[in-house]
Amino acid sequence: MSDPLQGHDDASAEPGAGERRRFILDDTGFNEVPVKYRKFYRKWRGAGDALAPNEVVCPVCKVVIRSTRELRPGDRVYCMPCMSRLVVVRGESGMLEARVAY
Amino acid sequence: MADFLSAYSIQSWLESCPQGYLEDTEYGHAHDEKEPDILLDNEVLREETIKATVQLVVGERCALSASSGLINAAPDEASKRFLATQTLDEARHVEVFTHRLYDLGVKKNELESVIRHYANPNLVKFAEVLLEKVDKKDFIAGVVGQNIVLEGMAFSVFEMMYAMNEPINAKFAHTLSGTIADERRHVGFGENRIGSLIKENPGKKSEIERMQKEMSYWMLATFADAFRGNRTLDELNKLGVERAHGHYQGADLGVLSPEQMEHVLADTVLAEFKTRLGRIGVEYQTPAMPA
Amino acid sequence: MTARTEPRTEIHDLEHDAFLEEVHSFEFWFQAVEGYLSGTVHGHRPDTRDVPPVGSDRERLISTLCNYCIGETAALEGASGLIAIAPNRLTKVFLSTQVADEGRHLEVLLQRLADLGVAEPESEVEKRSSPSLQLFRRRLLELVASRDWEAAIFAQNVILESLEYAVFHTHASNADPITREVLEGVIKDERRHIGFGENELGRKLAHSPHIRARLGQVRSQLDHLVLDMLETTAREIGVDRHEQERLGRTYRESVERLGFGS
Repeated sequence: MSDPLQGHDDASAEPGAGERRRFILDDTGFNEVPVKYRKFYRKWRGAGDALAPNEVVCPVCKVVIRSTRELRPGDRVYCMPCMSRLVVVRGESGMLEARVAY
Repeated sequence: MADFLSAYSIQSWLESCPQGYLEDTEYGHAHDEKEPDILLDNEVLREETIKATVQLVVGERCALSASSGLINAAPDEASKRFLATQTLDEARHVEVFTHRLYDLGVKKNELESVIRHYANPNLVKFAEVLLEKVDKKDFIAGVVGQNIVLEGMAFSVFEMMYAMNEPINAKFAHTLSGTIADERRHVGFGENRIGSLIKENPGKKSEIERMQKEMSYWMLATFADAFRGNRTLDELNKLGVERAHGHYQGADLGVLSPEQMEHVLADTVLAEFKTRLGRIGVEYQTPAMPA
Repeated sequence: MTARTEPRTEIHDLEHDAFLEEVHSFEFWFQAVEGYLSGTVHGHRPDTRDVPPVGSDRERLISTLCNYCIGETAALEGASGLIAIAPNRLTKVFLSTQVADEGRHLEVLLQRLADLGVAEPESEVEKRSSPSLQLFRRRLLELVASRDWEAAIFAQNVILESLEYAVFHTHASNADPITREVLEGVIKDERRHIGFGENELGRKLAHSPHIRARLGQVRSQLDHLVLDMLETTAREIGVDRHEQERLGRTYRESVERLGFGS
């Protein structure tokens, strides 16, 4: 399996961005996908919930998608609970957001 | 009717199927079960196995179309809900048999062409007779065609294949045992639900009897092709591999000729049709015998 | 039904085809629903204490659940009819899992009506159903019968599912404990359905933009029915004006993501 994220690193990295941080994911109790994929998702706890640098909210089903790597604009992520393919973008607020890529 | 149908609820299905006999399976079998090396290494055996598996995929695709199509024609909510579980069962069967094709070396991008190449035209005709009834939203004929004729055939075919495979191919036998367990519910629903509807609609009998006769003919023609053109036994003889002695309907499948196996299966299925149809008040029609 | 292996690599590294093969499968569905349905009876934990509403609150809940049953019946009939016209094996298999989900929803909702003391839930559903919802159901089935894949998926998995998703979400937040658990389980299923519809149509629209005009027409035919249903349901489940507006916005978001503005 190729690693498109690694392939996109240079092109997608924002100016001045250094090496990506890595994250160890734990199971957060999200139970809507098979056990082996659960650590990649967690529930959005609503206003007051802060996203880590490796997290982004799915606009379709509002679940938090998690990666083992720090996310950057241009990265592709998948939301398994709603089966969407998404691209990470920098939103107007300056926060990372996900847009559905059909 | 409502009480009897409560046994066919989604709650019962969840408890008996995903939380029952399919627990800890992957594509219908245990995670560490594999196809035997001989099937993967010998080109003749592999091709014959692919050919047989393609017929299962074709039959299950037909069952998937029929059971989903019948939901809209069902006269009551409980039947719709049972058919929802049957639709999922049939899709699972399509998936597990498709996955077996991949395990046998069929590439994903070749799947449809392999199915087109090996699909038995008589089996396709068998499916067309049923799907015509479903397209017309004819619930009674559709359920008899699907849950008594098609499922009755599948039930016996799977049982025979299980007997053949159980001593030599634990993986495929495991897959088959799960599908057989599903078929039990399907044939049960067919008989139990349709019996009362036939009583209320006696005018439907002759049309259903014609359909059964026609479907039975195409089924027998499919069996004839499947057994008579099969090169598996010759290849096993050539390799000096002893046949497995599975038992089906009192016969030792390790000593029967292909023609004898065809007759055992055909006789079993037709006898089952006769019994089941008799129970719901439909008179079994003897089909013409294919040349 | 336990997973044995960790994914070899990060899930987001999968090629798109491989991702779709994974998620549009019985195996995926099987392991996903096991996570939240295992051990439940009719959609809730067996030991959840029933604190049913009484008086007019009970009446309103019964009317609401009756209309949910009509919505779920429409979804069951729509999804099953769509299997025959689905363009490939993966979409057929996905829709079959949706059919089972919709059948389950209908079953748990009818059971809840029975728990609330409704003697004949099915006839009660017919009696209390909203004319807008019945009309929506007829329109949806006409689209399915006309074998118009895009329009039917749009009506079923985008419009109807988004509506249900938004309404159930709001209702679950102020419902009695058992109704809440039942609705929360349904919402978890709906995530898959709306995601499937939106992504399937999004891909089609990207490749065949001419479909857009036809879907726009479908939306304009169904929108007033949806808004009418939203208003009625919001009243029945007792949400304020502000929440009602938020409900409408949630519903519109998914349609707008596909490029269909108001």
